[in-house]
Amino acid sequence: MYKRLNNLGFVIGTFFVIISLILLIGGLFSESLDNTLDYYTGFSFLIFGFCMAFFNRKNDQQ
Amino acid sequence: MALHIADYLIIIVYFLFVLGVGFIIKRRIKSSNDFLTSGRNIPLWITSLAFISANLGAQEVLGMVASGAKYGIMTVHFYWVGAIFAMVFLGVFMMPFYYGSKARSVPEFLKLRFDEKTRGLNAISFAAMTVFSSGISLYALAKLLEVILHWDFDVSIAMAAGIVMIYTFLGGLTSAVYNEVLQFFLIVLGLSPLVIVALHDAGGWANIKTLLQPQFTHAWKYMGHADTNPMGINFMSLIFGLGFVMSFGYWCTDFLVVQRAMMAKNMSAAQRTPIIAAIPKMFMPLIVVLPGVIALALLQPALASKGFTMPADANGGIDYTMALPSLIAHYYPTGLLGVGITALIASFMSGMAGNVTAFNSVFTYDIYQSYFVKHKSDRHYLIFGKMVTVAGILLSIATAYIAKSFNNINDFLQLVFSFVNGPLFATFLLGMFWKRTTGHGAFAGLLAGTIAAALTHGLTLAEGKGGWIYPLYEIHSGMGQAFIVASVSWIVNFVTTIIVSLLTKPKPENELVGLVYSLTVKPSYKQEKWYLRAAPLGLILIIVTIILNLIFF
Repeated sequence: MYKRLNNLGFVIGTFFVIISLILLIGGLFSESLDNTLDYYTGFSFLIFGFCMAFFNRKNDQQ
Repeated sequence: MALHIADYLIIIVYFLFVLGVGFIIKRRIKSSNDFLTSGRNIPLWITSLAFISANLGAQEVLGMVASGAKYGIMTVHFYWVGAIFAMVFLGVFMMPFYYGSKARSVPEFLKLRFDEKTRGLNAISFAAMTVFSSGISLYALAKLLEVILHWDFDVSIAMAAGIVMIYTFLGGLTSAVYNEVLQFFLIVLGLSPLVIVALHDAGGWANIKTLLQPQFTHAWKYMGHADTNPMGINFMSLIFGLGFVMSFGYWCTDFLVVQRAMMAKNMSAAQRTPIIAAIPKMFMPLIVVLPGVIALALLQPALASKGFTMPADANGGIDYTMALPSLIAHYYPTGLLGVGITALIASFMSGMAGNVTAFNSVFTYDIYQSYFVKHKSDRHYLIFGKMVTVAGILLSIATAYIAKSFNNINDFLQLVFSFVNGPLFATFLLGMFWKRTTGHGAFAGLLAGTIAAALTHGLTLAEGKGGWIYPLYEIHSGMGQAFIVASVSWIVNFVTTIIVSLLTKPKPENELVGLVYSLTVKPSYKQEKWYLRAAPLGLILIIVTIILNLIFF
């Protein structure tokens, strides 16, 4: 796990996945979060986060 | 503007991640080189994004959006006339000297090429500038949070400075750089939805062009004369003042950005760092200039139904610096509002951390090790570098409070910075490409250029600023005045350096190998594919930049 945390792509990807979950899950439970813009952005961040976390390992080897 | 739980949660997650990066990187820090220079071991994609992130501070994000609203699409000149050409020049011509000389900093390069006094002058002025810049960035962040979120000024200062201190103290330059990359993605992805929804709401670019005066939507068409464009300068002043002197002076000699390229694994990667960085930089106006133009369009009577407003400044005019926060408040719902605010905080912290890490390298290597305590163990310099990091943050906090008490000090400091930075590129240009340039010439040129900058500012007046000696000549805009001050200081430095160099004894040629173009064996990459070489990539970037200028002519 420590090795993965040293991979900046993984760290950035994880960050955006968490932010996307806040936007998406928050939207399900909060009326103030039901804006379409949050959903679109949440999905975009989710896709970006996964790509960054899992397809960028080769470029970030120290 | 009021934040909700989701917004605060996003801000907290961001803070946890930047601190986490510091703790992870801490384990890698074994020597002063690891802490202060990253040990030249960072992958190309990270050095490239860090290169532009170091410049993506508060002045860039808020300032360029404000300029977009004030001057229109002409603001793209900072990118398509200024940055791109300078970054390509740095990658193709200057990085071989910086990287090949094995210098750990720009002042150290000046010592190798010229002499100790030139290094000392540059190191002291640069260290002072970075710590003051960091403080101004901190002040601006706390002030912004106070105005838009009603957060307590002191709490904002303590929070931002404390977080930057922890992660730079733990992981040094590597930690700052890794966070800069995270901040880059956050700023770009966090502000992209804003551009899309605001542009859509304003009716698209075609509608904006019909709503605004043509001077605001054409980059070059109205630059024939200073009276016909909102920036108040003609194309010659722009190309020489901004495109050559200011941009090359900043991108090619400022250690804050050059340091990111010097961390690369090898010469090829160091050369490609500014060139790869120029690709996102080329499209950055979409994130930081276009929102300003959109904000201006939304203020037009035809779009009054959209309900977008911007606050007034102290003189009753539009407060352009609030353009971006106003757009965020108007368009972002809860959740995304947290992302937008976090992106703003990230831009301030990125600028602050960049300045602090550049400060601690220069102060430790070029001032402390060079003039005060030589020949100590590496551990001694590692500990001192960490202490300087803390001192840099504390000085930044002090500067932030001074700026709060004396509001004009921001303008004053920015002015002094322009006096020091303006002439610097002439010194590097002559030093790298004319072997006859001497240390005495470089030193005299730098001093003369700085004095000339101060005199020019004292004799010209623009928007009520300058003219403190005598208002001999009036200039239409503050921006135009900055270009003219920089141009005069550059020319004075250039001429003085040549004259003094011709009157003094140059260094022997064998001492200039690797430091002067004509005496250095150029790195050859003929065996590598074209897309891995700096020159072909740079040429493509220049062609694309020219095409962009033609599209928005």
